[in-house]
Amino acid sequence: GDKPIWEQIGSSFIQHYYQLFDNDRTQLGAIYIDASCLTWEGQQFQGKAAIVEKLSSLPFQKIQHSITAQDHQPTPDSCIISMVVGQLKADEDPIMGFHQMFLLKNINDAWVCTNDMFRLALHNFG
Amino acid sequence: MQPFKYDDGDSSPQGRKNVWSSLRGNFGRRNPRYERGGYEPQPSHLQEDDGSVLMRDAREDPQIRHTPYSTRRDKRRVKWQNEGHIHITMWRDRKTPRRGMGENTQDGNPGSWFKITIPYGRKYDKTWLMNSIQSHCSVPFTPVDFHYAKNQARFFVQGVGTASALKDVSYKIYDEENRKITIFVNPSSVPYSVRYKLEPEEMEQLKLTMNKRYDISQKALDLQSLRFDPDLVGHDIDIILNRRNCMTATLQIIEENYPELLSLNLSNNKLYGLDGLSDIIEMVPTVKILNLSKNELNVVWELNKMKGLELEELWLEGNPLCDTFPDQPTYISAIKDCFPKLLRLDGQELSPPVITDTDTPCLLKPCKESYKGSDALKSLVLQFLQQYYFIYDSGDRQGLLHAYHDEACFSLAIPFSPEDSAPSSLCEYFKESRNMKKPKDPSLCVQPLKHTKCDIVGSLCVLPKTQHDLSSFLVDMWFQTEKMLCFSVNGVFKEVEGKSQGSVRAFTRTFIAIPAGNSSLCIVNDELFVRDATPSETQNAFSNQEPTLTSSSMPTLSQEQQEMVYAFSTQSGMKLEWSQKCLQDNEWNYTRAGQVFTMLKNEGKIPEEAFKQTT
Repeated sequence: GDKPIWEQIGSSFIQHYYQLFDNDRTQLGAIYIDASCLTWEGQQFQGKAAIVEKLSSLPFQKIQHSITAQDHQPTPDSCIISMVVGQLKADEDPIMGFHQMFLLKNINDAWVCTNDMFRLALHNFG
Repeated sequence: MQPFKYDDGDSSPQGRKNVWSSLRGNFGRRNPRYERGGYEPQPSHLQEDDGSVLMRDAREDPQIRHTPYSTRRDKRRVKWQNEGHIHITMWRDRKTPRRGMGENTQDGNPGSWFKITIPYGRKYDKTWLMNSIQSHCSVPFTPVDFHYAKNQARFFVQGVGTASALKDVSYKIYDEENRKITIFVNPSSVPYSVRYKLEPEEMEQLKLTMNKRYDISQKALDLQSLRFDPDLVGHDIDIILNRRNCMTATLQIIEENYPELLSLNLSNNKLYGLDGLSDIIEMVPTVKILNLSKNELNVVWELNKMKGLELEELWLEGNPLCDTFPDQPTYISAIKDCFPKLLRLDGQELSPPVITDTDTPCLLKPCKESYKGSDALKSLVLQFLQQYYFIYDSGDRQGLLHAYHDEACFSLAIPFSPEDSAPSSLCEYFKESRNMKKPKDPSLCVQPLKHTKCDIVGSLCVLPKTQHDLSSFLVDMWFQTEKMLCFSVNGVFKEVEGKSQGSVRAFTRTFIAIPAGNSSLCIVNDELFVRDATPSETQNAFSNQEPTLTSSSMPTLSQEQQEMVYAFSTQSGMKLEWSQKCLQDNEWNYTRAGQVFTMLKNEGKIPEEAFKQTT
């Protein structure tokens, strides 16, 4: 396509991430590595195992993400930073806005996530 | 496909230029496959199962041994490395000295030795590997005679319990490429440096000899041509540093007697490998000057083993490896790849590395709780944001040029609802309508990436004039290394002029920044997302506003005036708005404003809220 490479990679990753998350988030381990770090609502979790444990233990069964906006940029050290803004619905809770950032790195031809930051939006979207 | 080359530790502007051009040049139109991490498991014939019979022998040897030398210091420390990965280095308290480990334990039973092999271990940095293994291992262990051989990394441990615990670590560690690391454990005979360890009398004499060669004022130890030292020769002691037992003994003496060693000269010792010397990284990490000249080092790869030392000065001339380079610049470049902080090579001053020269403040002081960001870091970021938005909200955003890196990137996204018949007022954000892409995804308007600080500030200047509610800011610092800092800001702002005057917007802005002079930050990536604020956000906005002293029509400050305000704010400790008022009241006469301020302060006439809170 015409899109720059970092957008292609970033949006491809985003799609894959939320698909995994919504269907079976215990499988998310594949996109993190031992050096990855997740900041979830201000709390930090380091390493693939800790991250998957946190995500798997979130208190809902069903979850659905809908992306409002995504944006990608290349960083000075050949990584990609991706920003996602969207809405999510967990079980029967009301829809909430969220905002998430990923730092992606290419390791041996595969893109993995080295840093992940998630925040719920303070108030609902309109 | 070969996506971008991973630039090791080069986040200098030049490095960024290369990335940019490589982003444009190096790939075709193919869509990249997104691959999962992880690989197929190793073929079964490589999986180890030998030695497992022995593992079930439950005899465990005590790990703590009698130490004939003086007390070991607790050497716990945390060290940060760059490359965007946060490694924690923990030096364990070394309760098991090499010397004490003979073939017999205290109760007279033979302590069995085991050889630990990591296939393909050659590519792993020793420190990283040992720490990874130790962090997964249920038992503390002391590796003996660590070395690389062919593709493997190998070391020895003593005790069935230890060996068994290490075997359990196999397949538990993932390397940076998401491969699992295998650990083979096999019984072995006593390792070389233990079998041939020096006798106490030899150690004593070696120590005396080394003492003579130690310059306490420089913390420098000169061990060149150690083998032919008359003292040692006279006592018939053959110290061949190539031999592990001799190197180990030497390092032990250094560790015990010169623990803060700064400079080590190993010239002329016929060294052809650095496995033995690499133990010094854990034992005496303070060494910054290393002389390896006139040895037998063949390949630069040997030097990789010493990467754990943050060398400032290195001597290599007279080694065969020096002749393998076509020219001096290539040679220097290869060595600098190994030791990025190197300042002098073979007596020649090197051009200082762009970011890590001594004048630049280190963003991150090594400290244990750095995940959350130290307080110093937090206040650095908050101060930066205060200054940034001060300029952003003033009439003239040109001042932001200072805040951005030459090669910075900026992008802006707004949500766009296709149901709106009238164009969203947010479209004001795309005044340069020529550049607005017809959105393929109708729910999103994304302005194409702006590159270079001129372009960025140019497009920022065109955006509607704003006033940000700093008290609404929620700042997340979610990524930091010595060279780079990443943080996000969530908050609200108001448009103060134009068609949408009074509208309150909510934004999320993510910055990636690098350290700049004056303990400040320089932005390399800036990603902004703006949307309309919800009714409740609008209601709560600006409710906590501190009394600003500017009149309702905010005067536009010139660049020089803005700089005066910061300087005044820094010196007086007053918030920016108060500093501005003081300067304005004194007709921008800095000195007079300072005198007035001091006088009022001494008279106690300045309210407490005028001053910045220390976070």
